[in-house]
Amino acid sequence: MLRLLRLLTWRHFLRHRLRTLLTFLGIVLGVAAIVAIAIVNRALVGAFQNTIDLVAGKAVLQVENGESGFKESLFPIVRDTAGVRDAAPAVQGFLPLAGVKGEKLYIYGVDLLADASIREHEFVGGAFDLDGALDFIARPDSIALTETFARRLGLRAGSTIRLATSRGARAYTVRALLREQGAAKVFGGSFALMDLPAAQIALGKDGKLDVVDLTLDDGENIDASRRRIAGRLGGAAEVERPRNRGEQVESLMTSFRVGLFFVSLIALFVGFFLIFNTISVSVVQRKREIGTLRCLGVLRRQVLFLFIMEALALAVAGSVTGILAGVFLAKGALLFAGRTVNSLFFQVDLAGIGPTAREIWIGLAGGIGVSILAAVYPAWQAARVTPLESSRQAVWRSRARGVSRASITGLILLGASPLLAFWSPAAAGGVERFTLGVVAMMLFLLGLCFLSPLLVFWWAGLFWRALSRLPSIPGFLRNEARLACDSLRRVPGRSGMTIATLMISLAAIVTVAAFVASVRESLLLWVDRMITADLVVHSGARTAGPLNVPLQEEVGEKFAAVPGVEVLDFYRLIRSNYEGKPIMIESFSARRSARVRTLPMLVGDAPAALRRMAAEEGALVSESFREKFGKTTGDTIRLATPSGFASFKIIGIYVDYSSDAGSVLIEREWYKRLWGDDLVDAFDLWLARGADPQAAIREINERYGDDYQLFVSTHRELKENVVRLMEQSFSVNYAVEIVAVVVAIFSVVNTLLASVLDRRREIGVLRAIGATKKQLRGMIMAEAGWIGLLGGVLGLGAGAIMSYHHVVYNTKFLTGWSFSYFYPVEVAVISLVASVILCLLAGYFPAKRAASIPIVSAIGYE
Amino acid sequence: MIRLIDVHKTFKQGASDVVALDGVSLHIAAGEFVAVMGPSGSGKSTLLHLVGGLDRPSRGDVMVDGKIISQMEDDQVTLFRRARVGFVFQFFNLLPTLNAIENTALPLMLDGRSESEARARAEGLLERVGLSARKNHLPEALSGGEIQRLAIARALVFKPPILLADEPTGNLDSKTGAAILATIREINRSEHCTVVMVTHDREAAATADRVIRLKDGLLDEGRG
Repeated sequence: MLRLLRLLTWRHFLRHRLRTLLTFLGIVLGVAAIVAIAIVNRALVGAFQNTIDLVAGKAVLQVENGESGFKESLFPIVRDTAGVRDAAPAVQGFLPLAGVKGEKLYIYGVDLLADASIREHEFVGGAFDLDGALDFIARPDSIALTETFARRLGLRAGSTIRLATSRGARAYTVRALLREQGAAKVFGGSFALMDLPAAQIALGKDGKLDVVDLTLDDGENIDASRRRIAGRLGGAAEVERPRNRGEQVESLMTSFRVGLFFVSLIALFVGFFLIFNTISVSVVQRKREIGTLRCLGVLRRQVLFLFIMEALALAVAGSVTGILAGVFLAKGALLFAGRTVNSLFFQVDLAGIGPTAREIWIGLAGGIGVSILAAVYPAWQAARVTPLESSRQAVWRSRARGVSRASITGLILLGASPLLAFWSPAAAGGVERFTLGVVAMMLFLLGLCFLSPLLVFWWAGLFWRALSRLPSIPGFLRNEARLACDSLRRVPGRSGMTIATLMISLAAIVTVAAFVASVRESLLLWVDRMITADLVVHSGARTAGPLNVPLQEEVGEKFAAVPGVEVLDFYRLIRSNYEGKPIMIESFSARRSARVRTLPMLVGDAPAALRRMAAEEGALVSESFREKFGKTTGDTIRLATPSGFASFKIIGIYVDYSSDAGSVLIEREWYKRLWGDDLVDAFDLWLARGADPQAAIREINERYGDDYQLFVSTHRELKENVVRLMEQSFSVNYAVEIVAVVVAIFSVVNTLLASVLDRRREIGVLRAIGATKKQLRGMIMAEAGWIGLLGGVLGLGAGAIMSYHHVVYNTKFLTGWSFSYFYPVEVAVISLVASVILCLLAGYFPAKRAASIPIVSAIGYE
Repeated sequence: MIRLIDVHKTFKQGASDVVALDGVSLHIAAGEFVAVMGPSGSGKSTLLHLVGGLDRPSRGDVMVDGKIISQMEDDQVTLFRRARVGFVFQFFNLLPTLNAIENTALPLMLDGRSESEARARAEGLLERVGLSARKNHLPEALSGGEIQRLAIARALVFKPPILLADEPTGNLDSKTGAAILATIREINRSEHCTVVMVTHDREAAATADRVIRLKDGLLDEGRG
């Protein structure tokens, strides 16, 4: 049998090199996408953890309190707790280099004398002895850089660098160089060590700590110690093992990672169709060969085995190549993912990650499993070929009869999909419900695939009849179009799969486009209501988030003095925890800005909410918060603040698309009192009527731009930036769309070629009774056009249903966000037209081939 | 009506050449019914294909109805064939999903004729071959004889002056075959249509006015 495989399959591959290569590439592409996304997902899962592990050193427990930190006065309480052996306080944060575009440093401020017990810092040029350390500490402008960073910027010991601190640009002197060991390995060496007080000033965290790393006495129970320290802190900070802390923060990215997984599922689904299509064509092409084999005594199961093995051979080769391609692809994807994560979630270091055995297995199993699955039906069809096929001359092929077992299966799947989509098991969380929704959509598409032959049969019949009634118009290929319809109607299963592939591609395009359109429109509406300021000023980045540098309030007062500025407000965004899960705390001063701002309220009205917020009657929570924690207006939530636990009554629900973790919005003065934090992430400026915004921007930039690395955005620019950030996070989806379209077009070429091969005799007859080559070309092209039209129309319809479900339900399951649904009419029309045109182009080669079939051999010997 | 002048036809088969016709010259007059006989591989079907413009000679000329079709462009010869030559094949070669009337009307459709004209002409022909009661049936629902009569009806749809038949009774039982031959003969007489029929069957050949014999690609003059 294996000899037969080698003899027949290898020859078939060689004879049809292009098709073999395309199928091979299809598998490579699918596997590469799966492996790359698996690597990216793993990198994302471990990214923050790696940083924490490296920085945490020997610490077994960490005291921290989100981004707001906690009061330094708590340090002795922690240090003096029974069982604590060593305690090392630290502050941390990113600061951009003033005057060096794109460079920033992860500043780690530690008590150098205490820190050695937790972390080993290795300095260049021998040990950093006590004298060295004391000298370093004595001078507040001291900074230690890694060798890599210093080399990159041409710095050495004694050089000066300027950092854009929360108090403006300040100069620091490089007093030591670090080897890239331990903590210094993070962020590709963009790591700097400073003495604690100096770092506190630079980061605007005077009198505060971000973390205290702890080791315990030998034999101490970690959990007991954790509870003991937490009890002494009374909610002013949290005590966690470093690993738990990483996991908590990383859960912020759940929806992003689930979204990526969704993309790899699409790649797999598309790969399935490609393989199915290719093997189906191969069966059609080799019917006579199979018939001859059957005549010669090859058993049905041997034929089945032959075709499955053929798929396996391609799958193994394709999967191995796909894994290698996936590793390369992952490097590019990591850059993209890193950019998105850094902009939206937190700063991570995603460089240099290779595949694990698990990912290699995922690639192999995905590629081979899907290939075999896709090969089963065509292989079974091959096994059903009778020995008569080898000498078949004039056996009638029945016209399709409409409803078949496949159609019934399709109907069942279509019926099951909404049940699954809206099934809500009691214990199911957002991710589980999202997954159910995705599976339901897959069933929906699969149902349509099974139904597609029936739809083709009906559709082609409808057009066949309609065209019969049309008068003959010179130049209009009515008869060719009719014959094309007839061909589709006759073997609807053949074109059904191609139409299904096209449908899936277009449905994917429409779904992504509708999602993007809905998110974009909803975001723009949200920005209009959430940010009403004429100008928004950030430091270090254009938006508030992991990239910007928080500044002192006093900087804002300088902006308020700029001519034309009428109202100034301070916005602060920090990460915190609620019920062990990360949330965002937002604050601004409703007292300062209620008369000029509004809020995108989901429940309650904005002026009343702002009034109550200003009066510190309670806090507003976002829609995602309500969905995640089941808390709504009137309920009370208890948050850990540096001043201890504080309770807030929920006075309204607002829409917040800036984070799906769930946000709590508090009056700034209240926030400042409880969190002891007066840093500002964004300054909102409202201008007086008639004031020139450009003049104000010029003034701010000229006076303070360099010192604070300012980004001053107008309302419009901010909106554009929000849209840009959103589109950046969708770029992987666009890539998958392109793959889906390429696969669909390849399927059309394949199907039409199969159709031409299958109808060789019929084409010969048509030529014999007077069909010109042009007419035949027209007929095959018309068939391609019909396929494009039907696939396109079905794709747009399926896309409308899928995108509505995805935007309105699935996204809400995953993120807690509600978006208004927008159908991308323009994209839909362009896709439909493109579908028909691309199919016509795809039909050209098969049409040419049909026209060149020699009549005599076609009618005489098939 | 039909004239072959020193016609050669050679096929490539791997590295070697296979000679199907090796310098055949003949003349068939208008309205004549000629049977072409010969053993397998003698070149009978090749001759028929050349006369019908389905294939081109390697050398020599084929003149049909006053035109040298062997020198025509593909489209020209196709249009000529559509209007001037009717084909009847051993394996019928009907389109399986078209019913009798649609199969018959197909050449007219390819010619861009109106639906009503094509149907009227097809119905008339089906009546003539005795299939008017079966006009809405698919080929698979017809008997062998009916299928071949349907093929004849299609061949006649343009009232061609030439009817070419390749083993028209080869796939039929003797009784049905005889009926088909009678139909062809009747058309030959009533329409004054030139018929060239390739056959293995001596009895079928006896229906013709003249029998041409081929052997190894040459006219078998001794027996002609």
